[in-house]
Amino acid sequence: MSAVPFTAAPRPRRVSPSQGPLEVVATRSQRRARPRAAYAIATVAGVFAILLTQLLLSIVLSEGAYTITALEAQRIELDRTAQVLTERLNVYDSAQNVAANAESLGMVVSTVSPAFLLLSNGSVQGSPTPAGAGSGVLDGRGDLVGNVLLADVPLVTPTAAGGASAATSGVPPTPLSSGSLPSASSAVPSSGALPSPVTR
Amino acid sequence: MVTAERRTRRRLAAWMLVLAIVLSAFVVRLVDIQVVRAEQLSQESEARRSIPITIHGARGDIVDARDVVLADSVFRYDITVSPRFVRDYTRTDQATGEQVTRPVAESLAALAAIVGGDATAMLAEIQSQLAVEPEDDHAYLARGVTPDVFEQVRALGVPWVYWERIPARTYPNGQIAGNLVGFLGTDGPQTGLEYRLNDCLQAADGSATYERGADGVRLPGTTVVAQDAVDGGTLHLTIDADVQWFAQQAIAEQATAIGAEWATAVVVRVGDGHIIAAADWPTVDPNNVNGTAPENLGSRVFTWPYEPGSTLKAATFAALLDSGAATLADQVIAPRRYNTIAGYQIGDAWDHGDLRYTTAGVLTNSSNTGTAVLSERLSLQQRHDYLTGFGFGTATAVDFLGEEPGYVSEVDAIDGHTAVTQMFGQGMTATSAQVASLYQALANDGVRAPLTLVTGCEHEDGTVTNLPPTEGEQVVSVSAARDVITTLENVVTQGFLSRQLTIPGYRVAAKTGTAEVSENGAYGNQRIVTVAGTAPADDPKFVVVVTYGKPDTMKTSAAAAPTFRSIMTQVLKTFRVPPSTAPAPSIPLTW
Repeated sequence: MSAVPFTAAPRPRRVSPSQGPLEVVATRSQRRARPRAAYAIATVAGVFAILLTQLLLSIVLSEGAYTITALEAQRIELDRTAQVLTERLNVYDSAQNVAANAESLGMVVSTVSPAFLLLSNGSVQGSPTPAGAGSGVLDGRGDLVGNVLLADVPLVTPTAAGGASAATSGVPPTPLSSGSLPSASSAVPSSGALPSPVTR
Repeated sequence: MVTAERRTRRRLAAWMLVLAIVLSAFVVRLVDIQVVRAEQLSQESEARRSIPITIHGARGDIVDARDVVLADSVFRYDITVSPRFVRDYTRTDQATGEQVTRPVAESLAALAAIVGGDATAMLAEIQSQLAVEPEDDHAYLARGVTPDVFEQVRALGVPWVYWERIPARTYPNGQIAGNLVGFLGTDGPQTGLEYRLNDCLQAADGSATYERGADGVRLPGTTVVAQDAVDGGTLHLTIDADVQWFAQQAIAEQATAIGAEWATAVVVRVGDGHIIAAADWPTVDPNNVNGTAPENLGSRVFTWPYEPGSTLKAATFAALLDSGAATLADQVIAPRRYNTIAGYQIGDAWDHGDLRYTTAGVLTNSSNTGTAVLSERLSLQQRHDYLTGFGFGTATAVDFLGEEPGYVSEVDAIDGHTAVTQMFGQGMTATSAQVASLYQALANDGVRAPLTLVTGCEHEDGTVTNLPPTEGEQVVSVSAARDVITTLENVVTQGFLSRQLTIPGYRVAAKTGTAEVSENGAYGNQRIVTVAGTAPADDPKFVVVVTYGKPDTMKTSAAAAPTFRSIMTQVLKTFRVPPSTAPAPSIPLTW
């Protein structure tokens, strides 16, 4: 009932879509704190780098493990070879073998009269007498101190006269260490063709 | 609408329930496996894959004074097979790259050719084991093969053939010191030092496991050592293997020549009582124990007491001189016969009337009657005390396996005859080692050093145990001991064995002994002959005692004299003993 035309009540102001939404503007510090893509990329790359390094490392390590295994196997083999050779050497080194070989080479032990040549002044101590041809310890009499391990060991110089148990003709000479046992080397050979100092 | 919604919800709930049940079942199972039965299960799986093995430590070596190995530990190999895996197998031929199938028979034949066995017997053995136990996992194909053989077997590459490394013993010097070292049997040490000092030598075994795949192949890198093996200690002896060899060779030669039943030779260093050689004949090669009669497996040097005879007079005269009962120049009449108790007489080895000897003359000429006359100057207690003081009646400090103490009668038990005869070595017994100990004491100015055979046991960590006693004991005075040695030089310079005993350049003091052997309660015609002595007499370094038991062809001490001299000569040379500078003094022997 009024002359005043009906007008719509004023609407509350609305944000017009064309205006675009309003944003809360971050402060500079907030902006600075915001994560950046660069960091993420760096992190991911880092993780991959670590994984890759680890992989490479484990490859290297396992290769090392194989090397260790191979070397240990080699060590066991060498130990075994050493044992075989030591065993053989000890048998060659036995007094029976050294004596039999020494006498087969024409050496004799003087069991009658010991004498010493003093290298310091060239004097001779004791009263040396030549050892007789038959004064060898074995001298064809045979080794009476048995050693079954020497059964297959041939003399370096097979001899017809030597009565050593080890004499086996037809077998190639086995290389021997030079017997440095005192019983053989301390005997002063009083005769023989070997270039040794004359002791009488 | 409502019903449809409800139905959906119910269906969902039912699924959830089923899921929950299934899930909880899994959880229960998981907990059961991972927690409740975890240990048992992992043990079971471990046991199915992993095979336990024993790691054997090496038994200690026995070495001589110069570290020459007398007993050596080596490894041998047992070749074993797992019967349940024995079947034909295929392998790739390396040359052609083709798959080649190798039948069981061919594999076994190749094996048998290497280890020296019989392939058919091997197969029969494997099959008989499988018949009893289808899952059988272990059988021996060959035992104790050398590393050479083992390497050939391994080169065959048969997948069901395995091997075990086992410790073994070898004696590179054979019979040299075989009497002392002893040997190992299948059940461990049997005799000698191997047995006596097993505590030093034996190794402690360790343990380990390895894993095996379902096809029976050993997985590489799966060996886990649970306990390391500890090697045994090295036993150091005073023996010199070369002198020992020489002594053994010398007595073997002479014993065979004179038809002796047994022989011993002992070399002792005067200064410290170290035994340089203790030789026995017959003796054992520890590599071949079956080649020796059981009674010859030990060392008679220590285990075979006998009536030593006249070599013991050295002790009697040392006692006479030490106690002041006599001097070297005392004038004695040695009668033809000396009566002890009713019905018992003492005579000499040769027939004679009354002989006018000095004390030195009685000893030099080894007159029993003269010794008997002089012995009466000592009380029974004195005689007993001097004899025991020189170590008779007590085992030596060596404490060898089965060592005998010998016999010296107690004062209150002795009869009037033995009380005299014991002074020239009858009616009492001694081992060769004890006689050597007597001469060591006399040569060492009256100080009897404990006889030593073992200088110590060196363990892996460097500690040394089993150290020998070193404390000597003054048995007689310095002058008494020197007087006896000086007198015994006359045996070599003037005695009837002078030619066989003289070593040019050296003064030698020696005493002979030709002892009667009591058998079945009576003295028969069997003899035990001995020469004991020391050189150089002016500064004694070594004592040598050579004894032959019951020789056939030569029943006097002349049988032992050449051996004594050759061993003594060898010892003097080996140890570079300088020759004597002054001649032996002359002592009046008669008056």
